[in-house]
Amino acid sequence: MASVTGARQRQGVTFRWVMAVGIVLVFLIPLLYVINISLETPAEFTASPLSIALHPQFRNFTSAWTTGDFGPQLLNTTLYSVVAGGLATMLSLFIAFPLARGLVRVSEGIYRLLLVGFFLPIAIIPLFIEAKALDLYNNRIGYILLHVEPAIPLGVIVLTSVIRTLPLEMDEAAQIDGCPYWKYLWSVVTPLCAPGMVVTFLWSLLGVWNDIIGPVVFLNSPGLFPVARGIFAFEGDHLTAWTLLTAGLVIVALPVVILFLIVQRRIIRASIGGAIK
Amino acid sequence: MSATPALAPKRTRAAAPEQAAPGRRARQAEVARRRGRGVAGWSRGSRIFMWTGLGVGLLFYFGLGIVPGVGTIVVAFTNYSAFPGVSTNFTGFQQFAAAFTTEGPLFYQSLKDTALFVLGNTVLTTVGGVLLAHRLAGARKGDGFLRATVFMPTVLGATVISLMWLFIFDPSAGPVAALGKHIGFSSGFFGSPTMALPLVVFVQTWAGIGFGTLIYIGGLRAIPREMFEAGTVDGCGWWRRFWLVTWPLLAPSTTVVVLLTVVGSFTTYNLIYVLTDGQFGTNTLGILAFNSAFSGSANLGYGSALTVILFVLTLIVAIPLQYWLRARERRAVD
Repeated sequence: MASVTGARQRQGVTFRWVMAVGIVLVFLIPLLYVINISLETPAEFTASPLSIALHPQFRNFTSAWTTGDFGPQLLNTTLYSVVAGGLATMLSLFIAFPLARGLVRVSEGIYRLLLVGFFLPIAIIPLFIEAKALDLYNNRIGYILLHVEPAIPLGVIVLTSVIRTLPLEMDEAAQIDGCPYWKYLWSVVTPLCAPGMVVTFLWSLLGVWNDIIGPVVFLNSPGLFPVARGIFAFEGDHLTAWTLLTAGLVIVALPVVILFLIVQRRIIRASIGGAIK
Repeated sequence: MSATPALAPKRTRAAAPEQAAPGRRARQAEVARRRGRGVAGWSRGSRIFMWTGLGVGLLFYFGLGIVPGVGTIVVAFTNYSAFPGVSTNFTGFQQFAAAFTTEGPLFYQSLKDTALFVLGNTVLTTVGGVLLAHRLAGARKGDGFLRATVFMPTVLGATVISLMWLFIFDPSAGPVAALGKHIGFSSGFFGSPTMALPLVVFVQTWAGIGFGTLIYIGGLRAIPREMFEAGTVDGCGWWRRFWLVTWPLLAPSTTVVVLLTVVGSFTTYNLIYVLTDGQFGTNTLGILAFNSAFSGSANLGYGSALTVILFVLTLIVAIPLQYWLRARERRAVD
């Protein structure tokens, strides 16, 4: 019996190690490799793509920044994703609160309608037609407004469920004290729903930051491009400046990776369902 | 255990009137009376703010969510073109018919590519998700780090992921090609008719498996420990224990993972757009519809018709699949 258990334990240890090595190899090494190449000179990379950056230098980053219009594009991306993410979070809250409290007679109907959005055909083609008709095509404000909607349904679902856990008595207290609705939302509901608000904001921010189809469909002037589109300047059909491209990738990914590392525990725990500490 | 939070607010609401002082009860009745009129006891200004906020939010949702979603079906019945000067007419089912006649060869090939893409993704994500979840469900040292590693692609986004893999599998400059040279293997990778689809499936799964893994971790943690112990005492090997105990008990998680992956794979095209742009046997319906509308012919009507076909196809697959998966969950409980 003991030997059987021992064998099983050894089996378990082998499984743990094989899986750990596999995960690192498949999920981590590619990312580290890209960072590695971004630190090499073009000559080092051409000599051997498998070489390790023994003399790391940051010239790729500076030249990627200058040749690729990276500065303005990163500014565009930041502007688009922060403003659109903020608007989406705010509007989600504006919808979620009355729905969660049943303040509107058709709350339940509206809530169901928000779910309908998940079951509609891909909307990119009519969205393009609408963008042209409403003058949202190829301008910053339009691009931001077009990116507000995608995050709303999930945001409302998340925030409604969080708001429902807040005691009704708090609303009543605010009403009796004559606290205005917007002030109540801002100084009471928002702080108490902080995790839900953060998840909604980050999720919509990521959606805009990483969008690759939007810039192709809704933008035409290079000056308006976010990095997600601008980075393709490094990728030519015949001559790709690989070290520049990898540096560009690192620049694009770094902000979201840092954000992710800050909040990943919370996001992963929330997604698992918090079943275990 | 899990029912407690759901019950808590109900209990407070029910218990409050009895515990409350008379004055408070009157106040609550007043509040309830005012809520009965449709809006709570907020001031007039607050009500205007509330209605405006709700209205603007819903305007966004309807105008840029529901309208274009339904609009796809409308545009599919027209010959709408992005070229200026071309008049738009209702063309009935002409665009749909085109898919099966003039555009037939491309369309049928696309159906095949879509089927392989969806099947490949679903199998890889489900099997890989279960495997990864088994390794990552614990709380030992390093598990959190590995979890974050597997989840990382979810935040990286299509641009970074696709360009990174294009680079790694570049046939002339990439590291995989350099490794292959040592063993005498060479390929066009994303530019090869045989390799492109498997590689695209791999990248798509790589990008999305974090979610599947998290869902399975949640499922694993919900299984009572005694279930595993019973299996251990009975002297089952790990495979029998997995197959007879764990896998059936994971049925609800499998339902979610499979449905999300199937629907997601049918509709996604942003990674394919960069990796192959639909060439070399990766022309799924999603990318074909997108390219029909936005490159070359700029035929928004035909692109919409393909999107509607894709939508119907997704429903035809997903609805029976859901019934089957739910039935499977019930069998697992017995």
